Amino acid sequence: MKILVVNCGSSSVKYQFIDMQNEFVMAKGMVSRIGMSGSVLTHKPHDRSEVKVTGDILDHIIAIQYIISILLSENHGVIKDKKEIEAVGHRVVHGGEKFAESVMIDGDVLRIIRDLIDLAPLHNPHNIRGINACMKALPDIPQVAVFDTAFHQTMAPVAYLYGIPYVMYKRHSVRRYGFHGPSHYFVSQRAAAMLNKGYDEIRTITCHLGNGASVTAVNRGKSVDTSMGFTPLEGLLMGTRCGDMDPAVILHIMGREELSLHEANTLMNKHSGLSGISGVSSDMREIIEAMNEGHTNARVAFEIYCYRLRKYIGAYTAAMGGLDALVFTAGVGENSAVVREKCVENLEFLGIKIDPEKNRAAVGKEMDISSPDAGVRTLSIPTNEELVIARDTLRLINSQSQ
Amino acid sequence: MAKNRIVIVGAGIMGRGIAETIASTGTEVILLDRTAARAIQGIEKIGEDIDHEIEKWGLTVSEKKAILARIAPSTDLQVVKEAGIVIEAIPDKKRQKLELFKKLDDLCPDHTIFITNTATLSISELAAVTHRPDKIIGLHFLNPVPKIPLVEIIRGLKTSDATYNKVREFADQLGKTSVLVYEYPGYVTTRIIVPLLNEAMHVLMEGVSTADDIDTAMKLGYGFNIGPLALADMMGLDVVMSWMENLLNELSEHKYNPCPLLRKMVRAGQLGVKTGQGFFKYDSEGNRVKESSEEVRVKS
Repeated sequence: MKILVVNCGSSSVKYQFIDMQNEFVMAKGMVSRIGMSGSVLTHKPHDRSEVKVTGDILDHIIAIQYIISILLSENHGVIKDKKEIEAVGHRVVHGGEKFAESVMIDGDVLRIIRDLIDLAPLHNPHNIRGINACMKALPDIPQVAVFDTAFHQTMAPVAYLYGIPYVMYKRHSVRRYGFHGPSHYFVSQRAAAMLNKGYDEIRTITCHLGNGASVTAVNRGKSVDTSMGFTPLEGLLMGTRCGDMDPAVILHIMGREELSLHEANTLMNKHSGLSGISGVSSDMREIIEAMNEGHTNARVAFEIYCYRLRKYIGAYTAAMGGLDALVFTAGVGENSAVVREKCVENLEFLGIKIDPEKNRAAVGKEMDISSPDAGVRTLSIPTNEELVIARDTLRLINSQSQ
Repeated sequence: MAKNRIVIVGAGIMGRGIAETIASTGTEVILLDRTAARAIQGIEKIGEDIDHEIEKWGLTVSEKKAILARIAPSTDLQVVKEAGIVIEAIPDKKRQKLELFKKLDDLCPDHTIFITNTATLSISELAAVTHRPDKIIGLHFLNPVPKIPLVEIIRGLKTSDATYNKVREFADQLGKTSVLVYEYPGYVTTRIIVPLLNEAMHVLMEGVSTADDIDTAMKLGYGFNIGPLALADMMGLDVVMSWMENLLNELSEHKYNPCPLLRKMVRAGQLGVKTGQGFFKYDSEGNRVKESSEEVRVKS
């Protein structure tokens, strides 16, 4: 079966077209600047070079049509007939408490995703747009929703409730949801495979360090705690997000600087994190570069970033009563040996110890970077959220047809 | 995209605010004014406004780039030939607006909707000079447009349901809460705020309290974000007075008679924030200079 995996943003659609027989990515690409001048489709077939197609891509429906036509095109395509697209898997950010796993999309499901806009006003509307566009362009094939939050639905109240009146949970669904689910799921599974253990045998901490960053405690195959909370703002220090802080800070600042809700929100989400502390960049590579050139605040930002993660590793080890594998993934996690080294500094007492040489060698590839005598395996594992979405799509279709 | 352009006519403070608001939702817009200098200056001023918002943490530098990239300056009225929506934001002078609406009606395709941002003029009167009275509607934004979450949608006598529904959807896309108003002078916002401001000026003129205390009383007593006198300063005292005169002309009601203190200050050129002196004193950045001795003192 061949599956189209779709990830819709406000003005972009990322896609991969995967042959599930051998999980081979036949083509991937992205439509950007939807609804603006200069909208463009960038497409890379597996066996030919990348092409760019410009056009009046006014909305997500047209974007999906562009993607389908290029998959079918004689010069750049990878299939001959539209029928070869046998299913679509959609990334949907928020599944709330309604979806603890992926689902086949029907009218009811779509309505619930729409109801959840309240919890993810920035993401769910675009995801819905993408689903509608695919239903229109490919009306007869199954569509599956894979949620960022679903993997974390195994958390217990002790991990997901906040210390505010319980009625806020009941009335406004305020609780920890967690994000990056498909990524944490994928790399924790890979970790078990690398350790030659069953998924339900090991305790893993997975650190997804991209532009947004979160860390999850996966206890014997189940997410038991994760650092992102009600929104993706909580937890680790990120590129432009502040992560954990005393909530009274923002009330104080709002008063002192006379900020509106919107301004306070932007302050924490877009002006903070690595960028806000260093004043240099939100990109870890540039932070490290500036730090090496002696930039003081770049060093401070770097150290806060790593210190915060180190604390979480300790906390989650305690939460699970021990640890078997520590995983680094996503842009920074897969590629930055400097960050990995700093994050595990002084954690030998937990059994975490990395081999500096292996650590340096692990750039964008799956590798065990621990020293031979370490009690805990530290792993660098490239994530693959698209594959998780495609696999779930396949699984649901197979289970339905039975 | 081409046949559904959004064109704003008038790069003044309202036109700029509307352009920034539209562009910040990801939609492209053309900002039109009579001379290239005015149109380009309009874009520059939007840049300055965004800089202030960045200082207040409301936007980021990359968002500024993206917003400005979506606003194209122009002096050529012919661009409206491909417009789905034209927003008129020229000064509130009836003769000029009527002329502009006639010209737009000749140039635009039949489906184009005309939106006027007038605060006080009659939509029905503007509609009457066109051949599309069903497609003429008012959208009353309040200054500063990007920050005020409200817009009044004003239906003229002949505005169609289809036009109203489209424009309400447009307001939704801009992230504004809209209220429906049937055409009547001053709509809801202007009509209710103006007598309140005027009364505050009377209280000041009669020596009942100081400007600062009047504002404090209303702020803390009734939960206003800003006191009435500071609000009048922000709006511009000349603008407040012209609204009152328009309401007085239309409705002949004594309650819209501008307070003598307001008339006096306008004649003296003390127009509020924009001149650095109104009921309070302001620096060149428009920030309030806190000196009670600088407040308007009224001797009775």
